[in-house]
Amino acid sequence: MAIDRSKPDVSSKQRQFDALVRGLSGDLYRYAYWLCGEDALAHDLVQETFLRAWRSLDSLRDTASAKAWLITILRREHARLYERKTPQFADVDEVEIADEREAHAPESVGEDGLIRAAMQRLDAKYREPLLMQVLGGFSCDEIARELNITPAAVMTQVFRARQKLKGMLAGDVKEAQLS
Amino acid sequence: MNCLEFRRELNIHPQSNAADFVAHARECPRCAQAQADALAFEGSLGRALAIPPPSNLAESILLAQATEQRRDRLRWRRGAGWLAVAATAVLAVGMGWRATRTQPLGDAAIAHMLGDEAPALALTAPVTDAAVRTAFTQRGVELAQVPADISYVQCCPVGKFKSVHMVMPRANGPVTVMYLVDDHDSRASDFAHAGWVGRSVPMAHGTLVLIGHDASQFDQVQHTWQVALQASTRI
Repeated sequence: MAIDRSKPDVSSKQRQFDALVRGLSGDLYRYAYWLCGEDALAHDLVQETFLRAWRSLDSLRDTASAKAWLITILRREHARLYERKTPQFADVDEVEIADEREAHAPESVGEDGLIRAAMQRLDAKYREPLLMQVLGGFSCDEIARELNITPAAVMTQVFRARQKLKGMLAGDVKEAQLS
Repeated sequence: MNCLEFRRELNIHPQSNAADFVAHARECPRCAQAQADALAFEGSLGRALAIPPPSNLAESILLAQATEQRRDRLRWRRGAGWLAVAATAVLAVGMGWRATRTQPLGDAAIAHMLGDEAPALALTAPVTDAAVRTAFTQRGVELAQVPADISYVQCCPVGKFKSVHMVMPRANGPVTVMYLVDDHDSRASDFAHAGWVGRSVPMAHGTLVLIGHDASQFDQVQHTWQVALQASTRI
């Protein structure tokens, strides 16, 4: 029997999508969590990202760039969310960040907790390139393309991000030793 | 490469293996020590950032995608049917749509309830009104009043919908209450799946879904939420 090539190969598209979800949803969730600081919202963001990815999966030509492609969608979705909801999030975020710290209580007494708290305090313009480098494994050139800034600016920001984090952690450790 | 250049590179690319970077670390003990410290810090940073994702994350995304696909297909069929058949046939298509439309929502809600949050069904101690208000505020709904006897509240996606998921202990077993914000497609319907019975009811700003083993408990819970949600505001 002749194969009808005019019909889209739905099952291979579904298989590709399943592989993306199973392979990258964890990484996307971590990225979303550190972007918004709240786990339910991170879950929503990742789900919406993958639903949008499904709708435009045909535009993904290179599997090696899948993660960057998904992160681009996720960042847009996050920006869209903040465009709509900024006024109410100003209050809610403060409550939620405090709750999140409590939710991660076992770690909050240790080194992980101190680093996580310092990351939450880090300005978004430093936090995001650092996340892309440490969590995403992206090069400075790739980060620059994603954030639409120069590679030199990325280098400066990841440099300062580490300096600021270490500075905050040194302060936290001193505080912890005194109390 | 001198020490200053090395330290700068160390804070930008701690794991660099560029030849001049590696050579400088070999020649300069102080910079080699700084590199060892920086790599230890990178390890700690990577561990701290590795927040574990929810265990059902991939499944919930795939379920949302399957639900969306099915809805799209149903919409398409509905549109095609409308163009193709006469008014009586349109009515039949509409009824068929109604019957099948509710099934994915019911399946999604029950699957969600029986997922990671299944232990919540056993909770009996009431949560605070503030916790319930906060969850609804996160979903963009300000409650004028909070129904009593809610033992669990959490914001979570159900299929493709954003929901507030709650449990209300009742005499004949717990009733799971899910409020799907901005779902305006659902109609009032009853469903049953995997030994559970459920009801979906359109409300202000979304759909209320009730699930339990005893449907006779639904009327009172539905009334309570109807009163609370009618007085709510979308923010």
